[in-house]
Amino acid sequence: MSDGHYLRGNLALARPMRPTAPARPEAPAPRRHLEVAPTRAQKRARPRLAHALIMVSGIAVIFLIQLALSFVLADGAYQIAGMQSTQRDLLREEEALHEHLELLGSTQNLTANAEALGMVASGNPMFLNIETGGVSGSHSKPKSLPDNLIANSLLDGSTVIDPDALAAAQAAEQAAGDTGTTTMPGSTPTTPGLLPSPKTH
Amino acid sequence: MVIDIRGSRRRLFLTVLMVFALVGVFAVRLFDFQVVRAAELSAQSTERRTVPVTTYGVRGSIVDADGEVLADSVERFDITASPKNAKLDYTWMTRDDERVKVPTTEAIQAIADLTGADPNTLYTTLAANPESDFAYLKKEVTLEVFRQVKALEIPWVYSELHPARTYPSGAIAGNLVGFIGTEGPQAGTELDRDSCLAATNGTSTYEQSADGVRLPGSTVVETEAKDGGTIHLTIDADLQWYAQQVLAQQGTALGADSGTAMIVDVKTGRIMAAADWPSVDPNDPTGVDMGATGARVFSIPFEPGSVMKVATFAALLNEGKISPATKLTVPGIYTEGLPAGSSIKDSWAHGTINYTATGVLVNSSNIGTAILSKKLSLEKRHAYLEAFGFGTETAVGFNGESPGSVLPVAQTDAITNLTQQFGQGMSATSAQVASLYQTIGNGGVRMPLTLVDGCEWPDGTWTQKPGTEGVRVVSESAADTTVQMMEMTAQEGLIKDIIKIPGYRVAAKTGTAEVAQNGKYGDDRIVSVAGLVPAGDPQYAIVVSFTKPDTMRTSAAAAPAFTAIMKQVIKTFRITPQTKGAPSIPTTW
Repeated sequence: MSDGHYLRGNLALARPMRPTAPARPEAPAPRRHLEVAPTRAQKRARPRLAHALIMVSGIAVIFLIQLALSFVLADGAYQIAGMQSTQRDLLREEEALHEHLELLGSTQNLTANAEALGMVASGNPMFLNIETGGVSGSHSKPKSLPDNLIANSLLDGSTVIDPDALAAAQAAEQAAGDTGTTTMPGSTPTTPGLLPSPKTH
Repeated sequence: MVIDIRGSRRRLFLTVLMVFALVGVFAVRLFDFQVVRAAELSAQSTERRTVPVTTYGVRGSIVDADGEVLADSVERFDITASPKNAKLDYTWMTRDDERVKVPTTEAIQAIADLTGADPNTLYTTLAANPESDFAYLKKEVTLEVFRQVKALEIPWVYSELHPARTYPSGAIAGNLVGFIGTEGPQAGTELDRDSCLAATNGTSTYEQSADGVRLPGSTVVETEAKDGGTIHLTIDADLQWYAQQVLAQQGTALGADSGTAMIVDVKTGRIMAAADWPSVDPNDPTGVDMGATGARVFSIPFEPGSVMKVATFAALLNEGKISPATKLTVPGIYTEGLPAGSSIKDSWAHGTINYTATGVLVNSSNIGTAILSKKLSLEKRHAYLEAFGFGTETAVGFNGESPGSVLPVAQTDAITNLTQQFGQGMSATSAQVASLYQTIGNGGVRMPLTLVDGCEWPDGTWTQKPGTEGVRVVSESAADTTVQMMEMTAQEGLIKDIIKIPGYRVAAKTGTAEVAQNGKYGDDRIVSVAGLVPAGDPQYAIVVSFTKPDTMRTSAAAAPAFTAIMKQVIKTFRITPQTKGAPSIPTTW
């Protein structure tokens, strides 16, 4: 584009010189040369225009870059805000689950579940001596667990396992397993001779 | 065509004038904005963009010796509303993933269903002050409820974070943990150790865009929030539960007013359980009488009765005034040196008996104890009582702890002079009695009773560590001999059949104290059993007491609870059985 401008400028300046062109062929070159020489102002004008164009386009480019940057930044800000709120929500979720876990781990809940599953309290303290295989202490009849008398207003009974429902669920799982998948060979829990353990009921 | 030059000049003039006037107006306005009110406007704009936020520090938790959480900080949410923005006839809300326009009462009902609030109250709250921009609908809802309410997307419903406290173990150690009210910590460790637990809230600001997005990098923390420390209690929560459970069972069966149980590690003075029945559930402090909101083990002194004889005998042994076999003649009634009309009797009628010192303890003879006490001056006996910790609060320094009372020597009358040696005319808390048995079980060295192992700060440092320096009260041989005499009591005393545990040697002493009412002793009793297990090498001191039992008023009433707790201590701490080496000391001659 700047080339076009330059050319047009040249033609405009050349126009007044035409009538004198055929007169004397001996010395046309120096004269024409003098005549086409631009004035000092014209000389200055040419680069100034180019600079202006470069500058204008430069500014335009800068504006475009700035706009793009701003887009990216704004997008990032939204992304950060979004992730921060996700993080906060997840932390809250974690804390709520932790709180629930603590409640499930409370002695009252464990006692209630142990009782529901039919567990009993042991009687006299007895110890099995691993070295000698002997039992010390004397046996007394285990007692059924007494109802928990220590209040916990956070528990509403909804966390107590229903053994019947549990058994039903296990049976259902078993049935599904029999028809669907095959059990892995060698993974039976009753592998003999590995870990001796007393038979309990 | 004639051009009206004058007219056009005038128009030109007017136009220029108007332009100048307009520019002038703008200039004045600009000057006003940019110079005169610059600071004010700039502040206003910053205020609009800037959002101040309170950052909450997390209050520390209270855990037992195994780290089981007894008190924890949780986030709750207050559901709030802007009555100004709420139209009372209709509103928009999301129902089944669809924006619907519903009557406002329906939206209120939806909130009420989720939060458990009363819809009428909610409506009144909204209607009460229609110009207000803020009203609480429901305080402290859980995250789940908060999310459900948020999902309704009712435009005039907002929420606020509300840090709260939860006690997952309920009433287990509720007496020790204490609780927090709207005014802050109210009782127990929550109050005692607030300096460790308390968090400091911080403030920060951030700038937000018009659509509420936080501008990145605009957060300015003005004050940093500081989390509280974790208080580690010495107790075992499961053992504490067991002790409370046994107290509740036995206390109910006896028709007692209340019961306490203490389990102390004799070597260290650490309290493994300090149970009260009834005891407060810190989640619901209003669920019990005011009297049950604290820890009676520390705060309510009582006349301990015969469990105190152990202190008397240990002092006499230490001074070399008696041996387990010291012979004495015990009459049926004792009046020597007492004011006219006063006498000391035993709990059962008897003639003259030839007891050894051990026999006096085994049969819990008040008369025998009085006779033996006279071998030592009042001043010395008083000094021993003080050295055992009576009349002074224990090292625990629990909120509302009582020092009990032992009369100063000068004020001790002729009767109290002797009766305080068997636990009447003086008073002590369960903690002090436990401290006595800890001292005897630990070879005569009284360790500072400890309930808190320390405060663990978020950076891992520990403060508020308890003292571990013991004080010798009686010699090791005096203490060990006392344990042997106590073992004789367990073998041959009144409750020998109840406290027998196969495979184990136990040292114990019973107490049945009369309760003074209006200056006179009446029918009410405080029954107790205190002891050490295993007797051969004492590891744990156990004290169980019931106040004012109805169905049985002898120390046998406290024995089953004592035995049950002792068995549990054996199981919990895996104390190995030992039957050999049991002492055999004659009780009569």
